[in-house]
Amino acid sequence: MVLLIRLAWRNIRRNTRRTILAGLAIGVGLASLIFTDALMIGMNESMVRTATDTFLGHGQIHAQDFRANMEIERTIVDLEAVVASLKREEGLRHFALRTQAFAMLTSPANVGAVALFGIDAAGEMGVSKIDEAIVQGAYLQAGDRRMLIGSNLAQTLEVEPGDRVVVTVAQAESGELAQEMFRIGGVFHFNVREMDGRMAFIDLGRAQELLGLEGRVHQIALHFDAMERDMHFWQRYSQAGNEALGWRQLIPELDAVLGMSQYSMAFMELILFGVVALSVMNTLFMSFYERLFEFGVLRAMGTRPARLAALVLLEAAGLSLVSVLIGVALGAAFTGWVAVTGIDYRGIEVGGVTFRELIYPVLSARQFIVFPLQVFIFALIAGVYPAVYAARLMPAAAMRESF
Amino acid sequence: MPKSAEVIKVEGLAKVYRSGEVEVNALQGVDLGIERGEFTAIAGPSGSGKSTLLNIMGGLDAPSSGRVLLAGRPISEMSGNELSDFRRDHIGFIFQSYNLIPVLTARENIEYIMMLQGVPQQERRARVAAILAEVGLQGMEERKPVQLSGGQQQRVAVARAMVSQPDIILADEPTANLDSATGAELLDTMRDLNQKSGMTFVFSTHDRMIMERARRLVELRDGRIDRDEVRD
Repeated sequence: MVLLIRLAWRNIRRNTRRTILAGLAIGVGLASLIFTDALMIGMNESMVRTATDTFLGHGQIHAQDFRANMEIERTIVDLEAVVASLKREEGLRHFALRTQAFAMLTSPANVGAVALFGIDAAGEMGVSKIDEAIVQGAYLQAGDRRMLIGSNLAQTLEVEPGDRVVVTVAQAESGELAQEMFRIGGVFHFNVREMDGRMAFIDLGRAQELLGLEGRVHQIALHFDAMERDMHFWQRYSQAGNEALGWRQLIPELDAVLGMSQYSMAFMELILFGVVALSVMNTLFMSFYERLFEFGVLRAMGTRPARLAALVLLEAAGLSLVSVLIGVALGAAFTGWVAVTGIDYRGIEVGGVTFRELIYPVLSARQFIVFPLQVFIFALIAGVYPAVYAARLMPAAAMRESF
Repeated sequence: MPKSAEVIKVEGLAKVYRSGEVEVNALQGVDLGIERGEFTAIAGPSGSGKSTLLNIMGGLDAPSSGRVLLAGRPISEMSGNELSDFRRDHIGFIFQSYNLIPVLTARENIEYIMMLQGVPQQERRARVAAILAEVGLQGMEERKPVQLSGGQQQRVAVARAMVSQPDIILADEPTANLDSATGAELLDTMRDLNQKSGMTFVFSTHDRMIMERARRLVELRDGRIDRDEVRD
């Protein structure tokens, strides 16, 4: 075996240029796989973070069917008990109570339909980033009579902080229209079309008063230490007329995009493995035909067919090892560099989510252990065909064909 | 290998090469026995079937019809591994072109068969040193084939063929790529070895020098034995 390993390694080094070229072809493929995977993870994490941290939260509790028909009367059942229970939950970093209703905003210049949220200004800071998105004016304070509106909506209504708008809503139970005047307290800009053009926030107490809800809320937004919770949590709060949903159910289109990205990666891997297989086979066969006479001589000297096959497989293993080392080095260097500098996709919308931050590829053990191992094994499998070919070689035919 | 008189025997050997629609009869009913200790030349013009006969005798090629008996046993009864092991232990080959493994040194080339046989390293080294001295290549153990002249490479090939002390050495035009002086030197070396150790040599050749020095001359023409002459 030592002899075969020595022979295989020297054969690999024999045509250094060819070995390096084949190694680069496979290595660059592996490096691109490492980079793409790291970028996908970074993009996915950024998308989920943007979608959940901006306003949605990692999960929400509503009355059953509220999300489907948005009826103002459908408030969370037994709110006090739910809140008391949430306060005891481990791993729940923050939660925020909200009302949500359709409303009409009227300014002296224009009219706009919005989703009007009543928020607890202090509690909301732990769940969403409204306070960080204020570009004009200031964030809300408890009991405030001011309103926060999105930048696009401010443009439509032609208002700015200090201006007045009239809110018209339908009240709970009676359905009576209620109107109230608010001053614009601040303008936020999330760089998300839906939020900047169709959302407005007022103080929770004011909203309850305006909607005739008297201490009731439509939504509790949740923010966990970790993004995902087990089934038991959601089941526990999906009782007695309420439903608790994680972000995957709240924004299924994002979940679908994440699922698709896994398919994309699998497809990428398939292409890479195809390249690896062809590169290895091509290199081995080139080297094989070049040394046909030698193979004939080795067989003539009494090398068993299986040993000759082992020699070819060892050469495939050596070649793939060189390639994997090149790929890992290139992948680590390039991905590591981009992981520091980041890629600017800000403002681009994917799956209903607009990137708000630089995307940083995320390096993981899988990229540097599983991918190289897969490439190595695949290269070995690709070496089986030339190995079997070598084993079946008739010595005289090999020597004859080499001329 | 049992000490039977005939090391290799071929009976009614025929070999047909097909190239598309064309059939070439390289051998047509050859019967030949090679006895232990012979120094035999198989001669004939190009295309007469010399190399084909040698290859089939060594189990490197399969006949189209007829039988090859190695040490009394038909080759067709041997499995691939058995045939490989038989070649490793009983037959040494020398080819016309320089047939050393380029990535191995002279010593490693010579050691190769012994390594396959599982000969201990110490014994291998001693035998390599002895055989290199015998073929006049002392001190060249660590040279790669590209660092040796054609004649030196062929001497290494002879050393490699002989080092495991096979029963027979089949040499396919071993002097064809050498100048006449080097060829003569090499031939003398092989003849000495034949005389000293009783090792059997069979050459395929159209080199007059080998034909003159061989103790048995078998001449092939159009795939048939035209003459088989034993000299004193």
